[in-house]
Amino acid sequence: MASVPFDGTSSGTGGELAPFKIVIGGGFGAGKTTFVHAISEVRPLHTEEALSTASIGFDDLTDLGAKRTTTVALDYGRITLTERVVLFLFGLPGQERFSFMWDEFSYGALGAVVLADVRRLDDCFASVNYFEKLQVPFVVALNCFDGAPKYDPEEVSAALDLDPSVPTVLCDARDPSSVRDVLIALVENISGGSGGTESR
Amino acid sequence: MMAVLGDPGRWQRRNYGPVVRPYAVTRGRTEPEVGVVLDLIDVVVATGEGAHDDDPARGTPEHRTILALCESQLTVADLASRTGLPVGVVRVLLADLIEQGAVTVVRQRPAGHRPGNDVLQEILNGLRAL
Repeated sequence: MASVPFDGTSSGTGGELAPFKIVIGGGFGAGKTTFVHAISEVRPLHTEEALSTASIGFDDLTDLGAKRTTTVALDYGRITLTERVVLFLFGLPGQERFSFMWDEFSYGALGAVVLADVRRLDDCFASVNYFEKLQVPFVVALNCFDGAPKYDPEEVSAALDLDPSVPTVLCDARDPSSVRDVLIALVENISGGSGGTESR
Repeated sequence: MMAVLGDPGRWQRRNYGPVVRPYAVTRGRTEPEVGVVLDLIDVVVATGEGAHDDDPARGTPEHRTILALCESQLTVADLASRTGLPVGVVRVLLADLIEQGAVTVVRQRPAGHRPGNDVLQEILNGLRAL
C-alpha cells in the first residue's frame, strides 16, 4: 500500500494520535515560513507565489531586500514528539487582508508564537492583539535578522506593552535548535499556568 | 477573412494550469453537506466498512485515495499534505466518507482546552529531546 513517510501515526498499536496545534503569527516577512521550515519533518504545505504588482501598496517590502514571493497557501509543519504526541505548526498568513483565516487556524490551539522583526515592530501588533483577545497563550520571538539592530527583549516587551506573563525571547528562525527553544519557552509558560486561563 | 472559431488546438497554447480545478472533484461543493466542519487537527481513521465494495460509482479516485490513507490515524492537515488537495476539498470528501460510514472521527479537540500537566510535560520532554 501507500508508503508512510513519517512515524507515529499507526493505529495498529492502539495508541491514539494526540495532535496539538501551535500557530505562528507575525507580520508579513517576519520569517514565519522559515520558522516552520526549520523544525518541520515534512515539507511545509506552503506555496510561495511571486509577488505581483497587485500587491504593491499592500505588501510593504521595505527592508526585505530580495523578498519576491509570499505565502498564499498554508505553512504547515509537523513534529512527531512521541509515538502519539504530534505538534502541528500553522503559519498565519501575515497580510491583514488574509486575517479572516486566523480564527480557523487558531481554533483550539495549544499556544501561539508571534514572530517580530524589530525593524518593523508595528507589523506584529495585529497578531499580539489577536492572541491577547482570544486568550491563547503566546510568546513573542524576536527574529534576529542579519544587519538588524539588536534590542533587549525587555525593551521590546515594554514597547509592545505586553503583559509580564508573556515571554519575549530572541530567536533565529533559520536555526532548528533556536526554533525548538522558542517552542519550549511557550510550552513551559503554558505549564507554568501563568495567565490564569486554565480550564481545569 | 473570418477567424476560425472553435479551433481545437487553440486553447492548448496557453498555460491554463491544472486540467481539473480543485472543487471539480467535490462536484462544486465548498462545504460538507452534512455534519460538522472538521478542524485541521481532528483525527480520522478508516472503519473498514462502508465503501469497500467494488462499485466504482461509490467515490471518485480522490475519495479512494483518502480512504486508503486513513488506514492509519491521520489529521485533516496530514491528508491535505499527503494528497496535495486543498484543505477545503479534503473536508468535503471526508464528510462524504464519514456519511458512508467508511471513515470515523477519532478525536476532536475542543477549543480552549488546556491539556493536563502530564501531557504538557510529555510535550516538553519531546521538544527537549529533538
